[in-house]
Amino acid sequence: MGGIGTSNPPCRRRIFVVDEDEAADELTVHEVSMDDSAALDQRRRHAETLHHWLIEHNVCPCSPRSQAETALSQKVDELNRSNRELEQFAYVASHDLQEPLRMVAAYTQLLAERYRGRLDEKADQYLGYASEGALRMQSLIQDLLTFARIDRNGVTRSAVDCDSVLKEVRLNLSSTIQEIGAEIVAEPLPLIWADRSQLVHLFQNLVGNAIKFHAQRAPSVFIEAEKQGDFWLFKVADKGIGIAPEHMESIFAVFQRLHTRSEYPGNGIGLAVCKKIVEYYGGRIWVESQVGRGSTFKFTLPACTSCGNGRTCP
Amino acid sequence: MTPVPEVLLVDDNPADIALAREALEQSRYPCRVRETVDGDEALALLRRQGRFADSPLPDVVILDLNLPKRGGEVVLSELRSDPSLRQIPVVVFSTSRSNRDIIRCYQLGANCYLSKPGNLSDFLSTVQMIGEYFGSRGATLRGE
Repeated sequence: MGGIGTSNPPCRRRIFVVDEDEAADELTVHEVSMDDSAALDQRRRHAETLHHWLIEHNVCPCSPRSQAETALSQKVDELNRSNRELEQFAYVASHDLQEPLRMVAAYTQLLAERYRGRLDEKADQYLGYASEGALRMQSLIQDLLTFARIDRNGVTRSAVDCDSVLKEVRLNLSSTIQEIGAEIVAEPLPLIWADRSQLVHLFQNLVGNAIKFHAQRAPSVFIEAEKQGDFWLFKVADKGIGIAPEHMESIFAVFQRLHTRSEYPGNGIGLAVCKKIVEYYGGRIWVESQVGRGSTFKFTLPACTSCGNGRTCP
Repeated sequence: MTPVPEVLLVDDNPADIALAREALEQSRYPCRVRETVDGDEALALLRRQGRFADSPLPDVVILDLNLPKRGGEVVLSELRSDPSLRQIPVVVFSTSRSNRDIIRCYQLGANCYLSKPGNLSDFLSTVQMIGEYFGSRGATLRGE
């Protein structure tokens, strides 16, 4: 059986033939003259036979390199599909889980309200735990839904002014800022080509955390951005309680908390949301921190390369 | 005297129906509540077919989306394409908070989209608000 292969030198097309000598168990390669049409026809027939034989025997009729490329692209497709399925799963699960959970929450609350004092003290306590648990689960699911939605459809990009994003964040957090007496100091921030509500989410979670995990009264938060190559590097710095080195990566995982709810309220989703948003735009997020001295959260977002002054445009 | 508002609940979840019924019947402005558990039954009642031949038309429909047989969206669009039922206010009352559902329902002609609150007292007061606003409005029009 023989195979046919071609190569393309600049001047002339040449045809090489691979012949298999079954008795000697070896392959030989030799060139076929372009003028010998009978030999070429024969080789072409051989090539077709070989191609069919390979397909029949479930062997991919192509080179190892292109086989590897095909395998790689199949793996990428598979991964993309499984990611999509996972996200779809999280989304559907959070939607469909809410319905029965609402029942549990509503009826334990109803039971607790209508029968308070009519059962014994223990019963009241149990009902309290049950409805508290149901309410907490509701808020966890709500957060999971927020997380799952981040890179689903509905992301609308525009040139977003991070100064105005921060203004909105100050407004959203105004009651906490006043209550704690926090001060937020910011350098002028750039325009970023992104979804505005996602940037609000990102800054609000980071600024909110910087205030929440404060060490002394009247904490201050410092925000700045500097251009680094094709990216803007943002820094959100506080002088709060800080984070131990062993937790600096795990804090970005979903529902990862370092403190009890009574110390610091929250579900532990904020930084996971930040990470997902930053990575959605191809950026990175990390933290530099010392326990008791404060933390600086840093993240990068792509700058517009076509714009000379770095104030981004599409 | 103003007639008692008639409310039609369309929901397949008995637990939600019980809560909504309680809220509406014990409101400052009590309503008369009828319930149907799927889209087909709701449309039969609204068209007064079969066992619903003598049912009064509701002053407001409180409609869940995820229903057996014909779903909430179908009920809504059939209602809006029927000249004799078109003017009945429909409040969509669903667990879903997805923008897609909200936009779709308003496109189909819902008067209002409210997601079911997870908290008991919010749930009860939301349902009462629907009854008071849409129910009494419809009943007043009927009484004139």
